[in-house]
Amino acid sequence: MPETKKYPFHEQFLKKEWSYPMGAVLLAFLAMLLVLVTDQAWGVTGPLAIWGGKFLELIGINADSWEIYHGTLAKYNFWKNSTSLTNLGIVLGALLSTLLAAQFKIKKIKSGKNIAAAVIGGLLMGVGARFALGCNIGSFFSALPAFSLHGWVFGIFIFLGAAVGSKLLTKYFM
Amino acid sequence: MSENATSSIRRSARAPRETPEQRAKKRRIQLSLGAALIVGVVLLGFYIQSQNPRGAVIWAVGLSFGYVLQRSRFCFTAAMRDPVLTGSTALTKALIMAMALASIAYLAIQMKSIGLLPADLNAENLDDLSTIPGNIRDVGVHTALGGFIFGIGAVVAGGCASGTFMRMGEGFVQQWIAVVFFIIGSVAGMAMLPPMKASGILYQEGAIYLPQLFGGWLPAIAVQFGMLFILYVLADWYGKKKAGEI
Repeated sequence: MPETKKYPFHEQFLKKEWSYPMGAVLLAFLAMLLVLVTDQAWGVTGPLAIWGGKFLELIGINADSWEIYHGTLAKYNFWKNSTSLTNLGIVLGALLSTLLAAQFKIKKIKSGKNIAAAVIGGLLMGVGARFALGCNIGSFFSALPAFSLHGWVFGIFIFLGAAVGSKLLTKYFM
Repeated sequence: MSENATSSIRRSARAPRETPEQRAKKRRIQLSLGAALIVGVVLLGFYIQSQNPRGAVIWAVGLSFGYVLQRSRFCFTAAMRDPVLTGSTALTKALIMAMALASIAYLAIQMKSIGLLPADLNAENLDDLSTIPGNIRDVGVHTALGGFIFGIGAVVAGGCASGTFMRMGEGFVQQWIAVVFFIIGSVAGMAMLPPMKASGILYQEGAIYLPQLFGGWLPAIAVQFGMLFILYVLADWYGKKKAGEI
């Protein structure tokens, strides 16, 4: 491709994809950095339950009085919550990466099946992550390497769930 | 498997019909927006630091997570799904590598915080495992059930928790819908936890920390890295077998 040669710097440093092992090394390094800085392991889904609870309060349901929230909603501050900050960081970091690679494109919904997949998949992930006290990050990437048995159990059952999910995906959502 | 379906999960090699001029224009626009975004996140970083004494570092790490996940196409869901769906284990092997590297990091951090002797592992202050760096949480039927449900959801939605946020940044509308229902599901899960705990069957109290379980650091290290090694060899073998190399 002629364009490839026209912008060698852009090709080499901003557009070229990194290898999976490169991703693995950097993610492990960043996760360690986060633990050292915040004394708290990397997580993702904790704030989602908080945001949902906040929304319930907005429509007049006092979720904060539920035993399971026990006042966490009142204490929550987006800017002081490390997981909320890293979540927003993931969105903007990925956006920055695609923009600098000149690959950004709104990927529209192609069919009702996409919507159904997002709705059902999203609900299941939310419920599953709360049952296991964390998601693929909090109860897996920050748990299995931390020598917690629940990380191993969670990982094994994500794998089994993913196998079932793959069958459902090919059968109903494609 | 149709092209349509894979594209929502993994970036496909699409070939848009664009003239070189259009492409150059698109590149200029996107690079300018990228430069503006850099200014934006730096300014936001200053605000975050003013609100949170560790904010700037956390912000930089979060942005780096997004950048690294996007650039390397590292996806926890695909690592779990691809062996079944496509027979590829390249990402699975990278995930095992990441787990092994993070294990080394946590080992160092935990040894420093707890102490090196087996006796240190039985110290009274370790009764509360949540004081140990890393997430060491209640394990039981709820963990297995949660993992199974989460695994199905992540594959169906086309991205796990980190993957959903990453794809939102990439411009996938599907993930913007998924995150709304992820939040609704989270609240539902929160509401279901107390009855699960009360049932006595679906939830077990108590976390299990491998160095305590095996009575020392060395056996825990042997089991942890031994298991990861076995899984890596298995994934490597399975991938080659599926690719027809064996």
